[in-house]
Amino acid sequence: MENGNDYSHQKWNFRGNEELNTASISVRGVLNTLAKNLNSDDPRPTIMLGRGDPTEFAAFRTAPPAADAVSDALQSFKFNSYCPTGGVLEARRAIAEHLSRNLSVQLLPEDVYLTVGCTQAIEIIVSVLARPGANILLPKPGYPQYEARASFDHLEVRHFDLIPEKGWEVDLDSVEALADNNTAAIVVINPSNPCGNVFTYQHLEKIAETAKKLGIFVISDEVYGGLAFGSNPFVPMGKFSSIVPVLTLGSISKTWIVPGWRLGWIVKSDPNGILEKTGIVDSIKNYLDITCDPATFVQGAIPQIIKRTKESFFSNIIGIMREAVDMLYDMINEIPCLTCPNKPEGSMVVLVKLDLSALEGIDDDVQFCLELSKEESVIVLPGVTVGLKNWLRITFAVELEVLKEGLQRIKAFSQRHAKKQLEYQRQYPQRLSRSETNLRRRIMSECFLPGLQE
Amino acid sequence: MKNKWNFQGNGELKTAPGITIRGVLSNIMQNLNKDDQRPIIPLGHGDPSAFPCFRTSLSAEDAIVDSVRSGKFNCYSPAVGILPARRAVADYLSKDLPYKLSPDDVYLTIGCTQAIEVLLTAISLSNPVANILLPRPGFPFYDVRAACSNLEVRRYDLLPEQGWEVDLEALEALADENTVAMVIINPGNPCGNVYTSQHMKKIAETARKLGIIVIADEVYDHLTFASTPFVPMGTFGSIAPVLTLGSISKRWIVPGWRLGWIVTCDSNGILQQTGIMKSITGCLEVSSDAPTFIQAAIPQIIENTKEDFFLKIVEILRGAADICFDKLNEIPFITCPSKPEGSMFVMVKLNLSLLDDISDDVEFSLKLATEESVIVLPGVTVGLKNWLRITFACDHSSLEDGLGRIKGFCERHAKKE
Repeated sequence: MENGNDYSHQKWNFRGNEELNTASISVRGVLNTLAKNLNSDDPRPTIMLGRGDPTEFAAFRTAPPAADAVSDALQSFKFNSYCPTGGVLEARRAIAEHLSRNLSVQLLPEDVYLTVGCTQAIEIIVSVLARPGANILLPKPGYPQYEARASFDHLEVRHFDLIPEKGWEVDLDSVEALADNNTAAIVVINPSNPCGNVFTYQHLEKIAETAKKLGIFVISDEVYGGLAFGSNPFVPMGKFSSIVPVLTLGSISKTWIVPGWRLGWIVKSDPNGILEKTGIVDSIKNYLDITCDPATFVQGAIPQIIKRTKESFFSNIIGIMREAVDMLYDMINEIPCLTCPNKPEGSMVVLVKLDLSALEGIDDDVQFCLELSKEESVIVLPGVTVGLKNWLRITFAVELEVLKEGLQRIKAFSQRHAKKQLEYQRQYPQRLSRSETNLRRRIMSECFLPGLQE
Repeated sequence: MKNKWNFQGNGELKTAPGITIRGVLSNIMQNLNKDDQRPIIPLGHGDPSAFPCFRTSLSAEDAIVDSVRSGKFNCYSPAVGILPARRAVADYLSKDLPYKLSPDDVYLTIGCTQAIEVLLTAISLSNPVANILLPRPGFPFYDVRAACSNLEVRRYDLLPEQGWEVDLEALEALADENTVAMVIINPGNPCGNVYTSQHMKKIAETARKLGIIVIADEVYDHLTFASTPFVPMGTFGSIAPVLTLGSISKRWIVPGWRLGWIVTCDSNGILQQTGIMKSITGCLEVSSDAPTFIQAAIPQIIENTKEDFFLKIVEILRGAADICFDKLNEIPFITCPSKPEGSMFVMVKLNLSLLDDISDDVEFSLKLATEESVIVLPGVTVGLKNWLRITFACDHSSLEDGLGRIKGFCERHAKKE
């Protein structure tokens, strides 16, 4: 890089936006910052339990027909072009049929809008709702991508609680108290990220009825819809579309274990045509016209991906998750400073409560995670990132051996930091080092979005 | 009737469709005559990927197949893209530059489309009263995205009598202290021109004088077939900071693969210093990414695609440009100010005074679709009313057929003596 030429007095008209620099997406940012605290001298492999992405494990390899379908679509020479707005028709039809199996009303291809992963689905919905003065209701704890996009588009968010004592059900009273005439919609994540619960039919019906009473529609994030493995079956929110309009968000990322393929959707379940009448559908279509699309050949592969993937692939994944959850639940319960109040029934993550009173010299979840990263080369997500301070979000979508090792290291860490008698010699210093303090400050200030801190 | 639902669509988004190329072409296609047995000749879009003669390199297809079958790239990608892909793009672009790009200069995007989305959003966030300078005629997606971000647009003219060069004086007059950047598209869409090195240097010097970024949209890079070679704007990145936008879509004829980039060509590091790159990264962080397995195929795509694939494509385009220019010159109702030298398009002027019942370019396009099943883009879409943008990226026989039908159409609508 050249320096010291005659640019010293040159004035440049452009600069960055300070706000944007600090309000980056929380989960990615926090995990990167925790990784900076890893001890490079630790010969053991790092165990990543902070994010639901099991693609590195052979046990979670996607179904072979899926890769075949993508190759076939590519080599067919039919899908190298730009795609039509909303997506390739065969893909829209295939998804409509696939999702309709669990609904009482048949979806049409026109009800399906393809997106670049569920990430872009969220981007589109938030943009569509971001009128001046409008607000949406988000769950706390939740998935910070919603807050990130809302902040970006200047859409006000209000947080309703999920109640841990009630299996993380929605606090419907808090929902009613929060909503006003400018509230447009409520976001429900089912199966839940970060909590790991699956809502019952009855509870979903109550949510629908509450939404109707408030004059708002439901955005149902069902990206983990294919991953319910407990006793509670997964029920799509679209089942209640005669009560309230529903926009369902989903993707192939979690069900087929291919988050890198970037294929998601927004699906409209609205037999009464309310979303049409209120202009929401037009806004979605207009936004789709002016934004980027998923790769055309991945769209083209969708019908075959759905058709040719055997049921055994899904049941195998569910089986692994069930085992992992059992192991996690048992091992967490052996660790005095951690409790898992609700055994997960779905998704890839669970919230675990931290009992700081059982620990010495650890003040909060962020410090726990920073030190765990350094001492044990294990990364978990501090709950404050998702809206619940002093909890931890842990993924169980991990090969069983790796999960076991990770949990054992967490146990060792907890024992080492347990409140003990004064004579006990501890190996590691109590306080955060200066660099750790900086990392902690960074996590607290740069990686949180306003409204997520308690 | 009392509206008991609290929500409604975003009013600003309701006005979008009319001004995108996709939207306009879709309207024109609705005017096609279903009873016409002849094949539709699509001379309005910028996507020849459906024609067998334009099929992409099999090495590129193989690279993607290998990548998806390996099962190693099904994971999430970092916001700026995976390192091997960034490195491969940096090396690829560096071949045509006087200095070497680093992988850190490369930000991967979902096609050039997302590159434009992210860039304009970052600029609009940097200054609530920022403005950017766009060429006229130009590529309307810039206008659409600017409107989305409430970013003010000022248009500078390209001069048809000077090979569509930038009117630099007019451009300088437009700029003020809130002007952040100027966009140039080279090779040119919609004009089909290729700028000389001298002209590009002047553009860079003007940008430096004004203190602004040059956004160089080079999505049609290397698609030149006349005497002027393609020179990347980054060549002058030491004069003014350059943000190069590009993708594999056009050179490899794969717009459906959705892999593009924003690259900083800025040897003085000004973009980093002023913080705008952080804003761009911030936007990428809250947006979706290009599929990881497609990114992973990039090194192989670039390395394994043989030169004769590129030469073949350029040859087809050269021949098509010749056919287009020659045939258009036979039509007195249409003037073609300069022979296209690059990209896939040419701008031609309608001599409406010689036509009977056609009042403007839109009516011309609609009637042409109905009567002759030929699609062209009315120039008003790209900023020049009563001109047409014609795509010649087509197989030669279809192109000849289409141009013949346009001639017939004009003669049929000629003003009688």
